[in-house]
This record gives sequence, structure tokens and C-alpha cells, in this order.
Amino acid sequence: MAKVFIYPATSLILSDLVARFGHKPLGAALGIRERIQTAGVDSPPLQITPEEPKRGLKYAAVEVPSGVRGRMAIYGPLIEEAEAAIIVTDADLAFGCMGCARTDELIIFSLRQSGIPILELKYPSDEEEGVQFVAAVKKFLDGLPKEEGGA
Amino acid sequence: MSRKVRIAQLSCGPEYSGVQKEIYDAAEAVDAEVFFPDIALADVERGVDAFGLDVRSADLKLMIARAMALVEGKVDADGVFIGTCFRCAEAAIVRNELRRYIHENSRLPVVSYSFTERTTSGTLLTRMEALTTIARRRALLAREEQTGITMGVDSGSSTTKAVVMKDNEIVGTGWHPTTEVIKSAESAIADALEMAGLTREDIQAIGTTGYGRFLIGKHLEADLVQEELTVNSKGAVYLADHQRGSATVIDIGGMDNKAISVIDGIPGTFTMGGICAGASGRFLEMTAKRLGVDITELGPLAMKGMGVNVPMNSYCIVFGTQSLVNALAAGSSREDVAAAACHSVAEQVFEQQLQEIDIKEPVIMVGGTSLIEGLVHAMGQLLQTEVVVPPHSQYIGAVGSALLASGFVKGE
Amino acid sequence: MAEYTPDYVGTVTKYVFVESPSMTPGELALRAYEASEGVLIKETCFGLQVTGEPDSVDRLVEEIRSFDPTHIFIKDRGFPPGDPRRCRANLGGARPGYLGHEREFRLLRYITRGLEELDRREEGEAEPAPPAREKRPLLDIKRLQELIDTEES
Repeated sequence: MAKVFIYPATSLILSDLVARFGHKPLGAALGIRERIQTAGVDSPPLQITPEEPKRGLKYAAVEVPSGVRGRMAIYGPLIEEAEAAIIVTDADLAFGCMGCARTDELIIFSLRQSGIPILELKYPSDEEEGVQFVAAVKKFLDGLPKEEGGA
Repeated sequence: MSRKVRIAQLSCGPEYSGVQKEIYDAAEAVDAEVFFPDIALADVERGVDAFGLDVRSADLKLMIARAMALVEGKVDADGVFIGTCFRCAEAAIVRNELRRYIHENSRLPVVSYSFTERTTSGTLLTRMEALTTIARRRALLAREEQTGITMGVDSGSSTTKAVVMKDNEIVGTGWHPTTEVIKSAESAIADALEMAGLTREDIQAIGTTGYGRFLIGKHLEADLVQEELTVNSKGAVYLADHQRGSATVIDIGGMDNKAISVIDGIPGTFTMGGICAGASGRFLEMTAKRLGVDITELGPLAMKGMGVNVPMNSYCIVFGTQSLVNALAAGSSREDVAAAACHSVAEQVFEQQLQEIDIKEPVIMVGGTSLIEGLVHAMGQLLQTEVVVPPHSQYIGAVGSALLASGFVKGE
Repeated sequence: MAEYTPDYVGTVTKYVFVESPSMTPGELALRAYEASEGVLIKETCFGLQVTGEPDSVDRLVEEIRSFDPTHIFIKDRGFPPGDPRRCRANLGGARPGYLGHEREFRLLRYITRGLEELDRREEGEAEPAPPAREKRPLLDIKRLQELIDTEES
């Protein structure tokens, strides 16, 4: 089972397909869950405290807006953990955790830099493209190691 | 208890900057509640197309669509808070355009703010208070005439001012540097009463404003304790005799600056703040001290000088002071240095804050710094307009408080 | 600064979306309850949310998926169900993630089609491919002439 970063990280379709074809999807929900289940300073709604943008300095310099650094504090560790990634390149209406275009650019760049296998594709817009989309995702995932940890 | 004021939040990034709680806390402190206008995905797609600003970030698209729902009346609100990350260019464009759009197409008061992870509820409090006041106290703010005998006290960061008014006239004024908040207020009040020839017992209603408004308000058992944004707007149009229509009020204070776009005496959009004390009255105080003149002499001195002869950028008070010292050491005249200091402060306010509101004439400058002729002149040059400084402009907060407090005079 | 004490520590929550002509979220919920074995199930307008120990949730969602594999879609959720921080009633409007789901919900029928087609292809590998899937042979020029003649007569 490989850890596959999904982009958009909030995607239902990618999260489903990755798990369905036997791998572990790494998306925003995991980062948020970790924060929601950790005791600390109360910081609703997402339990992202003002400390997180500071942690985000590992991924983006201080002149980068706090919202980008705060988001990178969620995604940075997931990207580091990822063994593969699937990127939908026309995900223009993914909000919230994916709602900042500058963060999104940085996430995609970081994934491309990391050297892991990446599948880039577009959302399907009809049934024929739906078939191609699912086939491409399945083929990509079938090529990833099935063993625990991928080693 | 009155109904909570409902503030629609249009934002990108506060949850991820860890400051959403600060926004909630500031709203709660003024008995308001923040909410997110409910729209569907189709509204976002339609809204972005109709608005015509093609941004990439989806949360900015969401902001645009939510703003349109407010303006079109599909969602009800009493006020709007627009917040985006500091240093984000894409968001700054959206923030400014939405503020303008809402201001021009609705009666909703708007405050916009760019936050960092260090933004606290304290910083947001005055802004939220102003938003709720406008929503909650429209009737009070509609007052255009002072009646009875009332007193206003403005406890500012540098100075404390008191004004006594009687039958729509200012009959007494007092002014003291703020040292101990209550003591300074007592001194200013004593002076104002003495000048008016009245005693505390004659006063029928009291209003307080400024940083120390809560403390002074409690001490004096004031009828009205109000932030300085609405009070100063009211005071400015009252003193400038421009109570109807549009106006812009600029108050360069000791610690922060206010720029307010006013309609019929009520703030429409406003900004408050300043990156550094270099863009405030404090820098001019330091300049006066360094030049060996009283702050009251700085203005006339500046009028005799040419600011362009001295390079000065007071973005930061430390570097600003350094260039001041360097200029004097290099042989610049005191007049030129005074003019450069005034120009620099005006420029900082112009660049950092006046971009956030729509400048509509008349431009009214108020507060202690409006007495510094050189500063008013520099601001007029930057804005390409004749800046109005009404009589008693240094008492603006106290006058506004006394005026509004007359709404609490018995029999009113 | 207020302290934060989390609920549901150590659990996972997953969304189950159903986009099916033959199964409503209500029916899905009924069948899921039968298989739940103590996992918390909450019915929603689009399907379910299930919350519990990671292994139990994984087992349950796989079983739920088997009810209608090409019409049921599953995704992780960060929050437990009914959390006031994400609730529409408290926020005044839908949380941003909801609109993102709306975006992908429109595409699910294409994904369904893709999954069905892939299943068919995989099954097809064992036996000879159905003739309909054969590439259509080019029309012979003589046959074309015959067709034209027939039409014209």
C-alpha cells in the first residue's frame, strides 16, 4: 500500500479511487483530523493556532502571507510522507483548505520537486473522459508497490 | 437585551492563519455575531462571471459571490467584515474592489482588514465596535444638533481632551497630556468646566471616547461610551458644517490613524492602524523635539521649508529619525527638515491607509495633528485637494461625544 | 487563552456519498445500520458519515461500498459528525468544503461510468472480447456502391 498525495487534497473522487484501488490517500482531512484530535490552545474552527503559520516557515519564507504558511503547515508534512501523487490540474473550484491559489501552486511545485511518481490529469467532462480518467488512475495506482510502506 | 448585530464575514485565510477565533472574540465583545453568507456552487460560478474579476483563488471567488448575495439582498446582514492575509496581492485587489462595490451598491457598513498570524481580537475590537454601532445606533448617529448641557471626554493615547457644550455651542474646552488616564481626564474636565463657568452638577449627559473610554466612562458614569471612529466622523461633519452627503475624515493620531469615508455623518468604510509610529503624530513630536521647537511651532516652521530638499522616509520611526538626524548633520535647514517630516507622515498615511477608502471631497482633517499646518499642506498636495480643518478640530472626539451624548439628556 | 479538549480522540470519520438511481441515502443508511457493529452512523442528505475505531470503520465502509460499488464513494473527514465548528446552522452558511463536494458531485456519474467500463473490461479479459467492442471495419467501397444503389432505387 503506497501513500498517495491527492490534489485537490479535499477531493472525494481521488480519495475514493486511491482507497478503492488499494492505497492510502493523503489529503487535507488527515491534517485537519490530527489537529482536531489534539489538545492544546482553543483555535476554532480548524484548531490551526497562530503557531502554525510559524511552523509553515519551513516551507515558505516569512514574506509569504500567513494563510499560505498556515496551510503549508498542514500539507508540508503530508507531501514529505507521500510516495506518489495524483494531481488534477483543473481543480479551480476547490475551496477552504484548497482555496488559496498561491498555496496550491506551491503544493504542486513541491510534489514535482520531490521526485515521487506523479500522475497529472484533468477532471472528466463526459462519460468517455470518465472512462479514461478512471483507467489512467487505476493504471497509475496498479504500478505502485502494494507492500506496506512501499519498501 | 438587544438583538445581536449580524456581521457577514468575507475572508480568505483567517482559519489558516490561526486568527478566526480573534475575529469571533472581537465580535462577541461587542455583542455581535459573525456569519458566513450561505450560497451554492452555482452562485459562485455565476457571481464570479458577473463581477468580472478573474481571480485564481477559490476562496476569493467565494468572497465575491458572498458579497454579491449581500448586495442583491439574498442574504441579510447588519455590517460586513472583509479580511484577507497581509501581503497577498491577489486578495488585496479583491478586498478593495469588494469594499468599494458594497459601499457603492448598498447601505451596509464595511470594515476591511489585512491580518497576520499576530492579529489579536484587541486590534479588531474598535473596528467591530464601530460596525455594530452603525448598525445598532443609526437613530442616535442621525443627531445633527447638540441640545442641553453635555460634556464629551476623549481619552487619547497622547492627550486627553474635554469639551462642554450648551445649546449647540462649545462653551468650554480642556486639554492635558495623557499620563494617568483618570487624573488627566479630571484635569481636562476641570479646565473645560471652569471655562464654561459651570459645575459637574450642571452637566446633563456625558459621552466618552478614545483608548481610555471604558475606564473614564465608568469613572464618570457616562451615558455613552463610544469608539472614536463613529464619534470622530460625527464630530468632523458637525464642526465642518457638512452633515449631509459624502466626506472623508482623516485623523492622524498619536498611536494610530483613522481614515473614514463618511455618508450623512455615518462611517461607510474606514481603516484604522498604521504599520509603525513613523506614520503617526508621534514621529512629528519627535521631530519637534529634535529641532528644539514646541510641537505647535512645527507646522509654521514646515510651511517655510521645502520638503523635497530632504530625503526622508518615516515608514519606520527609527529609520525616519535617523534620516532626520542625518539631514541636520548634512546642513539641511530646520525648515526643510520640518517640511520633510510632515510630508513623510502624510505620505505614509496616503500610501498605507487612504488606498483603503474612497476619497470623496470635502477632505476633513481632525485631531491634534490637524493643527500642524505643514502636515495639512502636505496631505492636500498628495490628495490634490483643499483640506478642510474645522474650528476646534483638536477636540474632535470630545465634541462628537458631547453632541451624541445629548441624545441621553432627559426629556429628549 | 482557552484550553481545547478534543472529543472522539483516536477515531476516524469517513463520508459515504451515494449517487445512485437505485439506492437513496435513507436505504443506504438502513443497510449500513445492519452492518454497523457499533460504528457510529449518521445519515446526511448525500449519504452517511461513519465514525469509530479506524479498523472498524475501514471494515464497515468496504462492506457499504459493496452494496453498490460503482455508485458509492468514500472519503476521509477531519471532523467528527455534527461538530458545531462546521455546522451550517452555526456558521450561517455552508462550510467551504461543501461547495467543493458540490463541484465533484456533478462529475460522479462519469466516474461511475468509468468504473463500470473498467469492470466490464476486466471481466472481458478472461473471455473473448464482445464483438461490439471490436473496431468497426472500414466500409468496403463495393458495399458502399451497393448501399447507394439500393437507396436510389
